[in-house]
Amino acid sequence: MIIEEVLKERFGYSHFRSGQKEVITTLLAGKNTLAMLPTGTGKSLCYQLPGYMLNGQVVIVSPLLSLMQDQVDQLKINGEKSVIAINSFLSFDEKLNALRQLNTFKFIFISPEMLVTENVLARMKSLNIALFVIDEAHCISQWGHDFRPDYLKLGYIREQLGNPLTVALTATATSEVRADIIHSLSLQDCEQIIYSVNRSNITIAVEHFQHYREKRDRLIELAKRLQGPGIVYFSSKKLAEQIAADLKQQGVGNVMPYHGGLEQETRMLIQQQFLHGQLDLICATSAFGMGINKENIRYVIHFHMPMQFESYVQEIGRAGRDGHPSIAFMLYSAGDEMLQHQLIEGELPDESQISLLENWLNEQKPTLQNVTEFEEELSLICGLNEIQLRLTLDYLKNCLANGNDFSVFSSKFKNFIRERLDSKKSKIEEMVNWIRSEKCRRLQLLDYFEESGQQQMNDCCDHCGFSIVPFERIEAENTESKHKEVNWKERLADILLKKREGEH
Amino acid sequence: MFGCYKKSIILYCLHRIADERTVYSVFHLLNGKKSSQTIQDAFLFQLTPFFRVYPSMTRLQFDQHLTEMTKVKWILEYEPSQYRLTDLGREALKEQLKKQPLPVNLNGWKYHQLSVVFWERLSLLVQVISNLMYSNSKYLPIQRKKETHLWLKQFLQDTKMDRQVLAQKVFNEVVDCLENSTSIQPEFLISRLTGAETIGLTKEQAALQYSMDQDYFELQFQSILHTMLSVIKEKPVQLPLLNKVIQSAETEFTMTVSAQRTEELLQQGFTIEEIATFRKLKRNTIEDHIVELALNKPDFEIGRFVTDKNVAEIAEAVKKVTSKQLKHIKTIVPHAPYFEIRLVLAVFGDSL
Repeated sequence: MIIEEVLKERFGYSHFRSGQKEVITTLLAGKNTLAMLPTGTGKSLCYQLPGYMLNGQVVIVSPLLSLMQDQVDQLKINGEKSVIAINSFLSFDEKLNALRQLNTFKFIFISPEMLVTENVLARMKSLNIALFVIDEAHCISQWGHDFRPDYLKLGYIREQLGNPLTVALTATATSEVRADIIHSLSLQDCEQIIYSVNRSNITIAVEHFQHYREKRDRLIELAKRLQGPGIVYFSSKKLAEQIAADLKQQGVGNVMPYHGGLEQETRMLIQQQFLHGQLDLICATSAFGMGINKENIRYVIHFHMPMQFESYVQEIGRAGRDGHPSIAFMLYSAGDEMLQHQLIEGELPDESQISLLENWLNEQKPTLQNVTEFEEELSLICGLNEIQLRLTLDYLKNCLANGNDFSVFSSKFKNFIRERLDSKKSKIEEMVNWIRSEKCRRLQLLDYFEESGQQQMNDCCDHCGFSIVPFERIEAENTESKHKEVNWKERLADILLKKREGEH
Repeated sequence: MFGCYKKSIILYCLHRIADERTVYSVFHLLNGKKSSQTIQDAFLFQLTPFFRVYPSMTRLQFDQHLTEMTKVKWILEYEPSQYRLTDLGREALKEQLKKQPLPVNLNGWKYHQLSVVFWERLSLLVQVISNLMYSNSKYLPIQRKKETHLWLKQFLQDTKMDRQVLAQKVFNEVVDCLENSTSIQPEFLISRLTGAETIGLTKEQAALQYSMDQDYFELQFQSILHTMLSVIKEKPVQLPLLNKVIQSAETEFTMTVSAQRTEELLQQGFTIEEIATFRKLKRNTIEDHIVELALNKPDFEIGRFVTDKNVAEIAEAVKKVTSKQLKHIKTIVPHAPYFEIRLVLAVFGDSL
């Protein structure tokens, strides 16, 4: 069967998006592939489709549980039942069951920390793996913005699995990071398929403010003026809630906050309402967006700057997937980067916490073998939050596995943390420089990802000049008529019996 | 301005416990702490409807409400952690309950667990049927729990009905369940249901749509679920599908696991002392368990623990004192141990 037929039959599309076909044909030719495709181009199709044409299982390593769940959902929506996610959400029994029946699944999603456990790896070895997929492959590199120590072991795991055909997927990676990926996974004769991070239908605008207040007022104005649907990104849950409430009060209807602190049912409802066009605007933290396959998002506003270009490009890339003109605003008020600095410091353990860890290790040293059982104790003793704990445990396990001496652990770990901190800080600085610079926004972004610029285009960015008019809504939003009173029985009949008012 | 309905509920509970407990017994009640003390208090002060109605309220938020109400002089901290209503507070509460009365069918104690499962299943069932009716196969289930998905699959397999028939029957049963209860507003529940074409409202959105504060909406929503549950249990034969929804979600009654263990040992004939030694627990703890049993089991035999004579004397004493504080009762029957007084209150509390 030719791949277009599979595309139509399995996924219901008649065309590939840019890059997809190239990646798929390369894989089907049996070549290891590193694919960098911009956000919104449908990376998951690049392994799903070949999966159907290859004999054997597709194993997908994915760093985030939420991301994994989204991809599982997408497959299931498309009618694929032979799919499983192996991660820490499974109970002990479920995990045992899943492992026992592993060979019956076509698509196996797995988190890296699960993959490194011995019994899981042993079971994986017995499979017939047709395709090994590393999602968000930039996590492998210390230079990447999202380094996961667990990803470093993927090269070894790949070797253990008999070097199956492999595809490493990422949306954003500098050449340094790409070299790291290829090296770590020892991908011989790797085909690199690199597509520009540039999204030419998205206008990029940065605005400066002296005070928070002015910035807030501007956001409200934009939300009133711009044609939706839109997303506003915040770095703080509290502010996302606050501004959503302010917007409602200002008469901007159909806006809801979204962040990881909401109940699961609420998150699901809001996400689905947005997809169904019942909401026009979401005030979100970065928790929102993964797996949101909404084509017609018209604008993305950053109320807070992201921590690095990689996130920025991903977040604005949620706009305009249908190819229509869309706009990204970055609202910056002096000192905004302080919040980002605080956030990265919160992600890493500080020196005093590491000293406490050192003391604890000295007491435990003779007997310490398995760190996992001490998770809770460690987090209490050293006052580590979840992100800090994860990182510390990863590092500690690595250290144990390599038979390292604990006497040097603490100084090595401190060094490691310092390097991470410096690297993250310099990424924030790069963002701030970009915000302050007076050159073309797009060319600078491309420059960061080592791409050469293109010719002048219309509505490029605030420095090249653009008109906001095409992005404005034509009519004022009509919030009044939406809540017309419907009798509860009629609504229930509409849902369950497909009966509209007046039809019965 | 009252702020939120949680305050009314806290005031109401404080009013009921009338100086006899610390304010945190109210917090534990609303939070649904499964301790013998909280459970006993719920029964003793007839606050069972409110058991676990605000499970996600934090201690910090609770303290915040107390601070605010102290500031406007509705309550007074007359001893550390002991609060009582002022005249102003009583007026405010009366006023508030006139405007927003307590939902009548609320029964947190009986249904706090079942109603969660019931909503998860019902909302998923409705969404799935709706998508069947609209011939839409690509959608994301609104409920995420695997158990709920497995349950639904089983449900559809067991009922084996044509989709039209199933839809009509579920429709009829839900309408039947909601239509005849005058004191609830079914639209609060229906507006939250998700169908093929419209996604249901979040609690926050629904509260806004019906112009009430979220805490009050939450109680109203709970009371609708509790109403449905009691109707289903009343006439399971007329509501076969809904009855099926709550099957295998039933937890007989709500006791702590530890108390259930004590019950088993009691049934095997062990004495309190023996159980305490055997389980390496204090005698007090075992007594707490027995009081819990007394509250939960309609067939509890008090005669095993209290003589008839003592039961009669304690009951007499309870009638004489206006307070339900144990020490006041004890001054009248000094020879009766506290344990026996608590048991009598547990068994006959409402009728005394």
